[in-house]
Amino acid sequence: MEFIDYYKLLELEKSASQADIKKAYRKLARKYHPDLNPNDKEAQAKFQQINEAHEVLSDPEKRKKYDEYGKDWQHADQFEQARSQQQQSGSTGYGNFGGGKGYSYSGDFEDDTFSDFFEQMFGGGARNSGSGRGTQFKGQDFNAELQLNLSDVYTSQKQTFTLNGKKIRLTIPAGVENGQTIKIRNHGAPGIKGGPKGDLFITFNIINNTKFKREKEHLYSTEEIELYTALLGGEVTVDTFDGKVKLKVKPETLSDSRVKLKGKGFPKYKKEEQFGDLFITYKIKMPSNLSEREKELFRELQKLRS
Amino acid sequence: MTSEDLIPAEEICTLYKVERTFISSLYESGLIEIVTVERKEYVPCDHLRNFEKMMRLHKDLDINIEGLQAIHHLLDQVQKLQKQNVRLKNRLSLYES
Repeated sequence: MEFIDYYKLLELEKSASQADIKKAYRKLARKYHPDLNPNDKEAQAKFQQINEAHEVLSDPEKRKKYDEYGKDWQHADQFEQARSQQQQSGSTGYGNFGGGKGYSYSGDFEDDTFSDFFEQMFGGGARNSGSGRGTQFKGQDFNAELQLNLSDVYTSQKQTFTLNGKKIRLTIPAGVENGQTIKIRNHGAPGIKGGPKGDLFITFNIINNTKFKREKEHLYSTEEIELYTALLGGEVTVDTFDGKVKLKVKPETLSDSRVKLKGKGFPKYKKEEQFGDLFITYKIKMPSNLSEREKELFRELQKLRS
Repeated sequence: MTSEDLIPAEEICTLYKVERTFISSLYESGLIEIVTVERKEYVPCDHLRNFEKMMRLHKDLDINIEGLQAIHHLLDQVQKLQKQNVRLKNRLSLYES
C-alpha cells in the first residue's frame, strides 16, 4: 500500500489554510465531478481521490494525524500506544475520527470509494458517519457491458446474466445497435433509508460475426458474379441474413453495381416485423487460366469491338 | 402517466433534504417537470435522475440555478455528440475491412 500525498493531490502546500483547501477542492471537483464527466472512469477515479484528500485535510483532527505521521502513518497506532503509556492521563485520544462528511453517491461509483490508505489510517468508521453533505437516498446505478454477436440480435431474445450475484432476466429487442445503452429501472443497488433503487445501464458491444456490414437497419454485402453472367444476364444465388435467395442479373451488369433487396435487411429496433434493406454490390469475377480456344474467341470479340 | 410514476414534491424535499424553493427553481428553469394533481405537486419518476444530478451539482460544487441550466444544456450536447460518435464509428466500420 502506497503513501498518498493528499496535499499533492489537491495541489496544495503543507501550510495551506482551510480556505485554501476548500478552494482547491472545489476547483478540482468542478473539473472531475462524475456528473460532469459521464462515462469517464478516469475522472471518477480522480474525483474519488480528491474527495478522500478533502475528507482528511478539511478535518483538523484527521489532518493533524496525517501531518504528524506522514509516511510513517502505518506505525501511527504504535506511536499512539507508546505515547499514551508515557502520559498516564491518556488524554491525547486520536482514536475517534467520527463525524466525517458522509459522502455517498448514486452515480457510477464503485462501492468502496476510499483508498486502503485511508481505511488503514482512519479506519472504516471514519466516513459515512456524519451528518453529511451530498447524502443520497437513491441506490447506486450499475453499468454493465454485454457482448453479443450480430447474428444474436437479429431476433429478440431472452438472456439471463448474473450481476453482483443477482440473476437478471433481460429481453433484448431485435435490432439493438452496437454502442447502444438501455436502462433497466430499479435493477441498481438498493436505496438508502427507503429510497428508490438505482438503475442498471447496459451497453451493447456487438461483434459482427457475419459477412454482412450493417448500418442501422440496413445491411450491405458483396457478391461475385461470373463475367458471362454479368455480360449476358442470368441468375445467381445470394446470401441474405435469413437464407439464400435467387436473383436475376440483368445483361451488361457493371462491376460495383448495386441492387437493393427490400425488407431483407436487419430488423428495425423495437418495430416489430419491420426490416431494413439489403444492398448487394456485384463484383465481376474475371476468368483465369484461359485455354487457347478461349483466348482465340476473346481475340475475335476484341476484333468485333474495334 | 400513472400515479405510481409520480413522486410528491414534499416527499422529495424530506428525503433529499432540499428546500421546496429549490425544486420550484429547477422547474422554472425547465430542468425538471412538475405535475399538479388535485392541487398537489409531483415530480415524475423519469425526472428523478435529473433532479438528483442537479442536486449533487448544486450541493457539491455550489452551482447556482443559472449554472445548472448551462451545465444541463452542455451535458445534453455532450450526450448527443457521444451518440453521434457511436453512430459514426458504426458507419465507419462499413468502409473498414
